[in-house]
This record gives sequence, structure tokens and C-alpha cells, in this order.
Amino acid sequence: MSAAAQVRVPVEERLFSLVLALLATEAGLTKNEILSTVQGYRQRYSNSGDNSNLERQFERDKDDIRELGVPLETLESPGQVGNNQNLRYRIPRGDYELPSDISFSPEETTLLNLAAMVWREGSISGESRRAILKLRSLGVVTDEPVIGYAPRLRVQDVAFEPLSAALDKHVIIRFGYLKPGEQEARTRTIAPIALIQREGRWILHGQDQDAGGTRNFLLRRIVTPVTTTNTRYAPFPASAMEAAKAELDEIWDRRSAVVEVEPGSDASTRLAKRPGTTVDGNLLTLHYSDFDLLADELAGFGPEVLVASPPELRTAVRNRLLRTAADHG
Amino acid sequence: MASAVGNSKSGKAARGKAQPLQAQDKLTFLLSLVPYLMDHDRVSVAQTATHFDMTKEQIRDAVRLIGVSGIPGETAQYQHEDLFDISWDDLEENDQIVLTHRVAIDDSPRFSAREAAALIAGLQYLSSLPEHADRAAIATLMAKLSRGASATPSQLTVQSSGTDETLALIRDSVDAGVQLEFDYLNSRGERERRRVDPLRIESLDADWYLRAWCHLREAVRTFRLDRISNPVVTTEPITHGAADVKLPDTLFEGSADDLIVTIDVATSAAPLLADYIPDGAVTVEKDGRLRTSVRVSHYHGLKRLIASMPGVAIVIGPLDARAAVREWAAAGASRYQ
Repeated sequence: MSAAAQVRVPVEERLFSLVLALLATEAGLTKNEILSTVQGYRQRYSNSGDNSNLERQFERDKDDIRELGVPLETLESPGQVGNNQNLRYRIPRGDYELPSDISFSPEETTLLNLAAMVWREGSISGESRRAILKLRSLGVVTDEPVIGYAPRLRVQDVAFEPLSAALDKHVIIRFGYLKPGEQEARTRTIAPIALIQREGRWILHGQDQDAGGTRNFLLRRIVTPVTTTNTRYAPFPASAMEAAKAELDEIWDRRSAVVEVEPGSDASTRLAKRPGTTVDGNLLTLHYSDFDLLADELAGFGPEVLVASPPELRTAVRNRLLRTAADHG
Repeated sequence: MASAVGNSKSGKAARGKAQPLQAQDKLTFLLSLVPYLMDHDRVSVAQTATHFDMTKEQIRDAVRLIGVSGIPGETAQYQHEDLFDISWDDLEENDQIVLTHRVAIDDSPRFSAREAAALIAGLQYLSSLPEHADRAAIATLMAKLSRGASATPSQLTVQSSGTDETLALIRDSVDAGVQLEFDYLNSRGERERRRVDPLRIESLDADWYLRAWCHLREAVRTFRLDRISNPVVTTEPITHGAADVKLPDTLFEGSADDLIVTIDVATSAAPLLADYIPDGAVTVEKDGRLRTSVRVSHYHGLKRLIASMPGVAIVIGPLDARAAVREWAAAGASRYQ
């Protein structure tokens, strides 16, 4: 190993130099040209020897850069189709740069800063942090909001991370799903369509590869690690997500329960504030998406709530309360 | 570090500075800093640090790196004209940044598909804020994010809720510098008329909270928005502004009077209780269940929480905590006889 090989170039300098070099080239650079000339690679490049470590480094760097939204593309050299060594790499300026007619006002920038604050955990917090860096590069000075906000949306379901990655890469996934009332989890094979957050809970909407048709899965009921397959699927149109949201709204509207609440109680105050609730004296008509989650929620109110209908919900809430009382006997 | 999110600077600090930047973040920062410097003929390190919410040293490091970076060029030798250049004297002596030569970069980078999706879903989540009342403007903003992304944003979405009337009143009272008055039902079931100086609005998933100086208690208190009724903007000026009060970072603060309760919880459900588990709690896992402790201010909140997780969470001790849950659940069940 030569003395030059000992020079350590920081990772960000190597990545930055790679992006600059690929932005500056129209015709593209071959892998060999990159490894032998670009800062951070050239110091470790051997003219005569084996550069396989460096090539692997380049492969990882490409992935890292693409993950940031940098459109690194490959071109086949004319007359050399199929020859991997002669693939040419470049970053087309038009796909890299924010379109010049896009700008953000101070008010919009303030809203986007708040939107980024929502995410405090997982890789989505890193993505929102980087989005804000890019936004700040536009130099817009933000307005201070009238009152301070500290919004926070959690992504604590362990399935969230692998599912959002699969959604992004369009690969089919597999997981064990435990439906309420069933004893054993059943394995589902799903092409993800959308991740939807509703009433504080994450839902996967996807196409069931075995049963056919689309299904909704509550992330908290995914009880096994998510397995990512190598099978890709054609991306669904944005309208598929809109249809899923409309369907969830429709389910919410259609499912309702009537409960009697103790006047002045926590239940009467809070349940009346649920979206879509209608109040008639002490009788509230509630809407819901998921029977079991509603039964859990109502059980938490103890004697402040008496379910009037439907009868299955009466039974479910009563059984939950009996179970809790017995567990604490 | 206090995260008085009222001023966005420290609010951001709570996110950014706490953790060292990863290589991808540093690259994003370099690619973002260059266009910013191109738009400013001369800018101080301090102003740049404030703008990007970074330390001055992070800015200086980045500028020094940009100053020696460039493209291999015709000769593949990184000749002088192939490199960025800055006024080094201005940087070292005046702490000023002057970009004197640039290469390769003309403009700000696009958002990645996932970055755009994160911001769009964040905007959807905040749709109940009064700042979001102009739906058409928000839709335009989301469309711009989509168009400014390098690929179609990932299909991530948060169900929008309507604009919250209480949030709008809170904002009005802050805007006018006057106190807000409302009926509040606390978790012990006591209802009182409160007068407060609003300080900060916080949220956790579907739940929204107001942090405020309470004139009745003469202390900072946290109010759940769905327990507030009959809110009225008064004409009484506030006595405590956001700048005067140091708010704790966490929504649920511990107090010396807190009760520690031992529970068993299904391991898969443990994250639901994470906010109640104190730092340093001893946790033992056995047969898919976790034995740990939670901190509660009184049993009124505990009994509701545990009763909403039937079969999933069970109080082990102390005995009066178990009894509180049992009586609550039994009283509920007896209504069905």
C-alpha cells in the first residue's frame, strides 16, 4: 500500500466530490475514471492492483447519494452495450436541481418547519431534517408562529420502518398478523399501497397476494418481524391511496355505536369531542373504524359509559371490564 | 436543553444540535450551503449558523471544506480553476463568508421522495392548526413539495382532522396578549373554571395539549384540549409570556409526589406505555410479558389507562393500585346487570 493510500479523506468530502464531479459531466464518467480521479477515491486507487474494495465503496456511496434524492443515472457507452466496465455515471442537472419556479414564502417555510418537527424518531426524522436543510438553502427567513408548537407523531410500531422502506422500493413483504379474537397469527403476503395514520394509529393498506383484493392492517397487530422479499411490484397510482382513505372514511361513517355517558364525567366531555359524534342529552352516537379498539377505549371509561347499542359492543365492553376486574382480583 | 418551541430557534435546537450529523446529513448540508452562499455576496458565520440552526464551528468546517473542493476537471488534477474558492482572510479574520469562485452547483437540490412525503404527511397531521385554515394554500404547498421532489413522494398520509376551535381561540388570546378562560375537568374528575396565559401547544399522536401558566394554581400546567369546554378569550392581560417561563422538555413531568406502580404488560404493547415508564426502571421480560414500573400522579389516571388495555396490562402492586383498577372495572361491568 502506498503512502498516499494512508491519506484519510472524510466520508462527506468523498460524497461531496462525487456529486460535484457527476454534476459537472455531460457525457458521464466511467467507474474507472471516478475511482482514479475523484477526491476520496483517487487516494486509494491502485493503477496496477486490485480495486475491488474501492469498487464496493463506490457501490455503497451510490446508494447513499440516491437515498438523498440525488438522481444518479447510468448510461451505456455507445457500441458497448452490456459492458459493465464502460457504464457511464452522471447526475443530470435538470433532475437534480429544484425547479427554478418553485419558491416558498416565509409563511410556507414556517409551516414546513413545523411539519418537520412532527417527526422525532426513526429514519423519517432524518428525512425531515434533511428536507429542512434543503429548504433553508433557499435562504427564506421564517416568521415566528404566534404561539409555540411542539407537535409529535410517533412511529413506535416496529413494523413502520420496514414497511415504509418496502413502500418506497415497491417490494412485496410478509408478516404475521393477529386478528382480534383469533388465537394464532396468520402470515400475510402484501404489496404495500400506502401507510395511513388515523386517530393516532398507523394502518397499512395493501394488496393481499393470496386472497386478492386490498386489505387494511393495523400496524400494532403485526406480531412478527416484517420480511422483505425480492419481488417487486408495479407502483400503484396515487389514486389508490386516495381510494383507501375514502374507504376508511366511509367505514368510519357507516359504523356507529350509541352510548350513555355519566353527565359531567370525563367520558361525556371527551367522547363528545370525538370527530363526528352527535350528542342527544346523555346519549352519544359515536363513529369508529375498529370494533375492538373502540371497545378498549370505552372500557377505559369504566362506569362513566354504558353501551346502548350495538349489542355485540355491549357484550365486548362488559367482557373487557370483567376481565380487568378478574385480573386484578 | 430547554425546548421552548415558542421561538423556533431553540425548538429546532432540540432536534438538530442534540445529535452529531451523519455523513448523509453533512452531504445534504454542503449541497444546501453552497446555493445559500451563492445568494449572499457576504454573510457572517454567525448569521449562517442561525439560519441553518448549526454551531458556528460546524459552519466554519463546512466552508473550509467547500473552499478546497471541486471537480477533477480537464486535467483530472483538481487545478485551481476547478475548485471552489472563498476569501480565506475574510473567514479567518472577520468570520465572514465570501464565495469567490464556484463550480458544478447552480441551484438548491430537490427533495427526495421520502423527504417530500415526510413533510406532506407532517402538514396533514397539523391540519387542525389555525395556521392551516386556508386549505387551498396548504394544497398548493403540498403540490409544490411533490413537484420539487426527485420522484413521486412515497404514499404516506395522515388523516386530516377539522380545524380545532379551541386551538384558534388559544391563538387569538396569545395574539392579543390576553388570558384565556375555560372549564377544565381534570383526570381526578374535578371541574373548575381556569384562567391561563397560554405558552405552548403540544401534541402526541391524536391528543393535543395546552401548556399554560395557570392563575388558579400559580404554576405551569398541562391541559388536554379535549377536556376543555366553554373557552373564552378574556380582556385581562397575561402576566406570563412564553419568553418568561422555562417549560420542561417532556409533556409528562415527574413530580416527587408521584406513585410508582409495578405492572405486567405484553411486550408488544409496552411502547404504548413508554411515556409512563421512568428512566432507569428495572424491566424484566418473561414469556412475552414485561414486568416494569410506571409513574403516575394518582390512581385516577392509572385505572383508566389499565382498563383501556384489558388483558394486556395488569397492575401487580401496590395493592391499593390493584384495588383501584379492580373497583373501577367492576363498577363499569355492574352497569350491565
